[in-house]
Amino acid sequence: MTRYIIRRVVLMVPVAFLVTVIAFGLLRLAPGDPVLTFSGDVRDPEILNAMRHSLGLDQPLPVQYVAWLGRTVQGDFGRSIRTHQRVGEAIVERLPATLELTGAALLFSVTVGLIVGTLSALNRNSALDLLATSLTIAGVSIPNFFLGVMLILIFSLLLRVFPPGGYAPLIDDPLENLRRIVLPALTLSAATLAVNMRQVRSSLLDVFSQDYIRTARAKGLGENAVIVKHALKNGLIPVVTIVGLQVGALIEGAIITEQIFFWPGVGKLVVDSLLGRDYPVVQATVLISALSYMLSTLLVDIVYGWLDPRISYSKAR
Amino acid sequence: MTTRREFLTSLLSAGAMGLIVACGGGAANQPPASATNPPAQPAAPAGAAPTQAAPAQAAGKAAAAGGTLTFVLENDVIDFDPMLSRAFVDRNAHYQIYDSLVRVDPTGKIIPWLAEKWDTSTDGKQVTFTLRKNVKYHDGTVFDAESVKWNIDRYRTTDASARKGELAPVAGVDVVDASTARFNLQTPFSPLYSLLVDRAGMMVSRKAVEAAGEDFTRKAFKAGTGPFVLTEAVKDDHITLEKNPDWWGQDNAGNKLPRLDKIIIRPITNSDVRLTNLRTGDAQFANNIAPKDVATVKNDSTLAYKEIPGLSYGSLVPNRKEGFVFNEGRYVKAISMALDRQELIDKAFFGVGTVGYGTIAHAHFAFDANFKPFEKPDPEAAKALVSAVGKGPLSFEFLVPSGDPALLQQAQLIQAQLRKADIDAQIAQLEFAQILKQQSDHVFKGITYVGWSGRIDPDGNTYDFNYTGRPLNDSSYSNPDVDKLLDEQRAASDEATRKTALRKAEQIFVVDDPSRAWFRFGVAQQLTSTKVQGLAPYADQIPRLQLASLAK
Repeated sequence: MTRYIIRRVVLMVPVAFLVTVIAFGLLRLAPGDPVLTFSGDVRDPEILNAMRHSLGLDQPLPVQYVAWLGRTVQGDFGRSIRTHQRVGEAIVERLPATLELTGAALLFSVTVGLIVGTLSALNRNSALDLLATSLTIAGVSIPNFFLGVMLILIFSLLLRVFPPGGYAPLIDDPLENLRRIVLPALTLSAATLAVNMRQVRSSLLDVFSQDYIRTARAKGLGENAVIVKHALKNGLIPVVTIVGLQVGALIEGAIITEQIFFWPGVGKLVVDSLLGRDYPVVQATVLISALSYMLSTLLVDIVYGWLDPRISYSKAR
Repeated sequence: MTTRREFLTSLLSAGAMGLIVACGGGAANQPPASATNPPAQPAAPAGAAPTQAAPAQAAGKAAAAGGTLTFVLENDVIDFDPMLSRAFVDRNAHYQIYDSLVRVDPTGKIIPWLAEKWDTSTDGKQVTFTLRKNVKYHDGTVFDAESVKWNIDRYRTTDASARKGELAPVAGVDVVDASTARFNLQTPFSPLYSLLVDRAGMMVSRKAVEAAGEDFTRKAFKAGTGPFVLTEAVKDDHITLEKNPDWWGQDNAGNKLPRLDKIIIRPITNSDVRLTNLRTGDAQFANNIAPKDVATVKNDSTLAYKEIPGLSYGSLVPNRKEGFVFNEGRYVKAISMALDRQELIDKAFFGVGTVGYGTIAHAHFAFDANFKPFEKPDPEAAKALVSAVGKGPLSFEFLVPSGDPALLQQAQLIQAQLRKADIDAQIAQLEFAQILKQQSDHVFKGITYVGWSGRIDPDGNTYDFNYTGRPLNDSSYSNPDVDKLLDEQRAASDEATRKTALRKAEQIFVVDDPSRAWFRFGVAQQLTSTKVQGLAPYADQIPRLQLASLAK
């Protein structure tokens, strides 16, 4: 196992190198000048050149790349051209907000999806089932930028129940945090909630027709026990897989949701940085995302070996 | 097998991302632990401080000292350091935190601020400022002539200073005594005072700058002398400004300012969401309202909307460089003739703004209400002018920033108006960053559609856009007569002489040999909850929140 891990880590090095080249190169191919973009009303060439010089942007691209790589391997992602903030600090500041939003959305879509999906399966073709199916179609069809604005209109402007946006840190004010997260979490979870409800319903309907359910009922087991112990346990396996895949989709969706509700997360940072060609921030976020994926792939493989002893990495070629 | 692997990978990605970035540095937005509140200062003696006009309060609502006002801003403040600031939006915070040497009153007249008075030498090359005494920065350090010299030298000599160009006419500052600073100028330079109103004249604490180092521009805590103290800045979320109890200013009745205890500034880029925050009561102040929303807010009884003529303008920027279509000046004039400016304002700007023909706005001393060179659209005359050039029909690329449907609608109406004169404007949308790059490199093929926020002195709206080779002269315009007149107005010390030169120059760069096609002046807006009192919009669109109070 140790040899396997070492080999995987060594193999990660060239991939990581390739990622750094892509992260650095892609943005440079896009037209636009970050210094000019952020110079606002200042266009004096002398000042702009001084800014380019201080950022190292007047150097040839290979020199810029080597300098950036050198700093990056030491954990220094540089400073944002737009805000002058250290990039690592900028990401660390915003990550909790994004994780909190995606976590809340995931929690909401799983729990509600499970409850409504189960009830829908148990009361097939009932009014509840029809309502759930309609909501499913709506959830998948309505884009979150539209849904977000509609929720603000209804719950903030008309009913005055929730604030129209903004963030309050959980540690500072848990109640205010809860109030502010409801609408963005609902917006973000709409599509995944619909999929989860549908998946739970169809999985359960499929399981209900299985022999072992008939057997459980035939031997006199109570309906609740049949559903919870037999049907749900088996029916949820594909749901769990789908929920896992939704994590990535939620993080992607958070980019738009954060814009609507001015939620100060990583998504908003990435969008603002991309539009303005803030090279250091975009490079760092792309690189960190790629490295996170590579690391987690390695961890998954290690966990597999631990979960299933039949998988032996020592024999892997 | 594959799906389980992807599932675990997704979950672990999120966690691993957190771990990796955690190595990159910690968040720190709080003021440095060593910074303390400045010791209480006696209020400036009555009569010494210029009093500030506070507009009449709404009938039936008594103003109360204290309270927190939430201000929703169209973008986050980027640079708290006036030296590095390049964005208009930054100034909304600067004016609350920092005092500058001089300021303007609501009519645009330069008034004393940190400088109580000033004298200009007969040759116009020396300006001596007498400074307000007993003023301290929020960190407790003293504001004096040494501080003025240090600030101005920092602004004009630091390599990356965005103020360097503005202060180029300043050769140096002499400290005459603790409360007297003398500016030595390379040449007489009338717009100096208007520049010292803004960021080039804002005073920051040397101690705060040196303590924060590179982070100063994001963490300028307790660095100004202004009515409010910056105490917290969480990027893309909020900025907290707290009352400076020792501020020297007072209102007409002699009451100490500011009245509010705290200001929270929240950046909200979406104009609809900004407006919703005001309507729900989550915010009480905004100063940038989309034209499409103005009718709605005027009819909302919980909101108070005010607007006055502003300093900003809208124009079509042609590339007049040799080798490009608009090197032919008659084409630019034909476009100016074909535009129906009133229709543009009525239909594309929802009636917000006024017809404009040049750079000198209503609030400028050099404005001439009778200057209406293209009052009625004349597509036939435009056709004749294009025909006189003798190169066939006029067709060009019209670059419009992408991402804002309102901008596209405006461009489409302009396109339709030009079509009446058989002028074919082919709209192409590009990211603003790309348009800016093409403008700056003078390589755009036809015309771009980019506005200007405006400056309190007409020179700030005019010089850099029309003078040969200046940085903001995106149209590569060059006319020796215009250059001469613009230099003349800079050197003249009296407004009458300046106005004459500016008016002559405007006649040339708008009509005789046009550098652009101007069509609109913007407005300075102010939208508040009806609870907010004491505020009036300024032409420069920046709020002076020291005057604000909240009704009980």
